[in-house]
Amino acid sequence: MSASHSTAPVASDHQAEVVARVKAIESIMIEKGLMTTEAVDRLAEIYENEVGPQLGAKVVARAWTDPVFKARLLENASTACAEMGIGGLQGEDMVAVEDTDDLHHVIVCTLCSCYPWPVLGLPPNWYKQPAYRSRMVREPRKVLREEFGYAVADDVEVRVWDSSSELRYWVLPQRPEGTDGWSAEQLEALVTRDSMIGVGAPKAAQ
Amino acid sequence: MQDLVYGLPGGDGDVPFREPWELRAFALAVAAYHSGQYEWSEFQLSLIESIKQWEADGARAGQEPWSYYEHWLTALETVLAGSGLLSEADLDDRTRSVLATPKSANHHEPHREPVAIDPAR
Repeated sequence: MSASHSTAPVASDHQAEVVARVKAIESIMIEKGLMTTEAVDRLAEIYENEVGPQLGAKVVARAWTDPVFKARLLENASTACAEMGIGGLQGEDMVAVEDTDDLHHVIVCTLCSCYPWPVLGLPPNWYKQPAYRSRMVREPRKVLREEFGYAVADDVEVRVWDSSSELRYWVLPQRPEGTDGWSAEQLEALVTRDSMIGVGAPKAAQ
Repeated sequence: MQDLVYGLPGGDGDVPFREPWELRAFALAVAAYHSGQYEWSEFQLSLIESIKQWEADGARAGQEPWSYYEHWLTALETVLAGSGLLSEADLDDRTRSVLATPKSANHHEPHREPVAIDPAR
């Protein structure tokens, strides 16, 4: 990931101040015995490298191949994910919304950037931009087409779901055509992060 | 639509963190939560508040450009201060001392001997 490899000089005094404030908070917290450098390092590593959309892809692929599991997922996404050992901070009260031939879902958080970390990892930068947050609500079809190159057919309804700290949505995309008989492991590779946000389709079967 | 174009998937905007300090600030907030310093919902409310403030100040000249993790940092400072764990004065002092310390503070003196020796047995 680019952040950890950034060697660019700090851009401005303001940036230098921000960087110093983060270091200052860490050193004060450590002095007070509230955390250790090792614990912070470990969390940074987990969220940078281990938690990510590959976990959500497993859940989606299982739902595509196991109708009983899918019913449980749509009933209660948090407990269904927990069956697969997937859960944690910001994974409480998740709701999976299912795309169909007539319906396409997109997620957004209008207030901050609530996002189901355990299944999708941390949100990409654009998800947190004020422009995405406000425009997706106003003109979802247009934003999907113009900004993400994802054209939703006119006869498909688009529903935009606002995640909050109480409920965090994510999209169960449609299983790609031409994948009859595929195993969950094969299907996993077709599930993209964007398809679970609702700004893209899963990859097509090769 | 500069922001959104800049943020299109595949560009710089597709990554969760753009600078190392953002990941550090993220991990600090989660670590403090895990060690029981505050409820996650308190942190989220502070984050929402900071973002709202920035949006309300939208038209103000000289406003800092959008930085999600600066709001994150503000939220962290707010909840830690609210729990009595951090005073603004302490934080300012410490920040100044971090700024005053050169990055390579200990790197200027030549060390002409091995720093450790584990003798042959």
